[in-house]
Amino acid sequence: MGTGGPERAWVRGAQGGDASSLEALFRHHWPAAYRAAYLVVHDAGAAEDIAQEAFLAAVRNLDRFDRRRPFGPWLHRIVVNRAIDWARMRALRPESGGDALAGVAAAERADAGEGLLAAIRSLPPDHRAVIVLRYLLGYTPGEIARLLDLPRGTVNSRLRRALDALGEKLEDER
Amino acid sequence: MNERDLGRALREVELPRPDRERALAVVRAAFADRERVSWPRRHVRSLALTAAAAAVVAGALSPPGLAVLGSLRDAVGREGVKRASPALVALPASGRLLVQSPSGPWVVQADGSRRLLGAYGDSAWSPNGLFVAATRPNQLVALDPHGRVRWALARPQVRFPRWAGSRTNTQIAYLTGSRLHVVAGDGTHDVDLCGDPAAARVAPAWRPGPGWTLAYTTTRGRVYVLDAGRCSLLWRSAPFSEPRLLEWSADGRRLALVTADRLVVFTGKRPAVRNLRGATSIAFAPRGHQLAVVQGGRLLVFDSDRLTAPPRRIFSGAGRFGDVAWSPDGRWLLLSWPTADQLLFIRSTGVRRLLAYSNVTEQFGGRAFPRLRGWCC
Repeated sequence: MGTGGPERAWVRGAQGGDASSLEALFRHHWPAAYRAAYLVVHDAGAAEDIAQEAFLAAVRNLDRFDRRRPFGPWLHRIVVNRAIDWARMRALRPESGGDALAGVAAAERADAGEGLLAAIRSLPPDHRAVIVLRYLLGYTPGEIARLLDLPRGTVNSRLRRALDALGEKLEDER
Repeated sequence: MNERDLGRALREVELPRPDRERALAVVRAAFADRERVSWPRRHVRSLALTAAAAAVVAGALSPPGLAVLGSLRDAVGREGVKRASPALVALPASGRLLVQSPSGPWVVQADGSRRLLGAYGDSAWSPNGLFVAATRPNQLVALDPHGRVRWALARPQVRFPRWAGSRTNTQIAYLTGSRLHVVAGDGTHDVDLCGDPAAARVAPAWRPGPGWTLAYTTTRGRVYVLDAGRCSLLWRSAPFSEPRLLEWSADGRRLALVTADRLVVFTGKRPAVRNLRGATSIAFAPRGHQLAVVQGGRLLVFDSDRLTAPPRRIFSGAGRFGDVAWSPDGRWLLLSWPTADQLLFIRSTGVRRLLAYSNVTEQFGGRAFPRLRGWCC
């Protein structure tokens, strides 16, 4: 998932205090981090917060990061776990912020449209997460199991059930 | 759709566009903070001197003083209130002041006596004024009003302690870096609150009354209101640009947010928004929903239930004002005036009165004009 040489150089530079290296890491990883977060939480503001938070966590822990390892999985682990937590929390405790906020949320839903996004939104958050990790970010089931601290069998069953549910949803819409 | 098509669709499906540059700015700032930990202290000193010089220049370039307090108009000149006492000898109402100077926090008793609590960077009263929460760069400290340390907690980059609760159970919210933490009043059970998004450099605000409702602003400019007891999100606002101040009304029914160019009052329904550029200090009255606001060289009082109505202009003067605070009985407003090196007590009810005290910087350590941190109970 990393970019080999350049990424290692960016991590090394950032650990040495070079702001341009940190910026290079950010620009390289931001699109996937935001997209992964959005596909789990389906809220643009929350996805920005989660992606940003992941980078802030990376900054806080930069000194402890082993630069022989790729940066992407480290970041994606934070993003996806935070996104799952956020989506679960949102399901348990719907927000109430007044009419203005309801308007914002409605606009975001309209932007998201139907089809694939609606089908993914219909899945439980932890099923969305494995779909995102597998098919957006390209991790193997074994890697996903390590990223999410789950047994590999659980990852496989979630992937299977999520794919079945997505297939049914998308079929219904045709 | 096969699995390969699914991957392509996930990569290509159109999403709302994020504000990447804003996130990058936040990450850059956090990175710079990380680097600044070891920055030589001499730079801090030179920056402070530069800021002080800038303040003096700003004062010199400001228009002549103008009081709008009826008959007091002639009593105010370019250099401040003309008939000011040379020292703060007494408070006009009960309670004690907490004043933050570069030397540290000072407690001022009703008879004007002052005590420096020690070399701390920021401070706040406990709910009943029995203790003071104070900070060092990497430490949160609880002090009694004599300056004795009751406990200390080591955390990096501690800012904005805010203490709430009853006589038997209290909590302190504070920022460590960009994380919002809450610690019990006895210094135990320090937690990163709920893992919610990073906090902007704005003091969090406890909602007065029962429960543990805490408001803070995120780096993306949203106001988050949390139940800190259960770690649940009660609501969050839409994002606002450059949040600066956050304050609850005394009854907990209004929440005011000041941004670089707006005053926002959340009421539980659609927030009321008023354009207001450059507000630097706000304070709700101890009763009702009157909101005192410092804007440059003006002290205004808004009715936060009718935010679009014109505010009452309480006082104006040359240069810039500092902070505002209400007396515990709600009858006096305390206004700091760095340009004139004065503290002003302005009676807000009944017959208008103005009490002015000069030489404030010298009385609080002599290094720079102090900040007001509260007029407590």
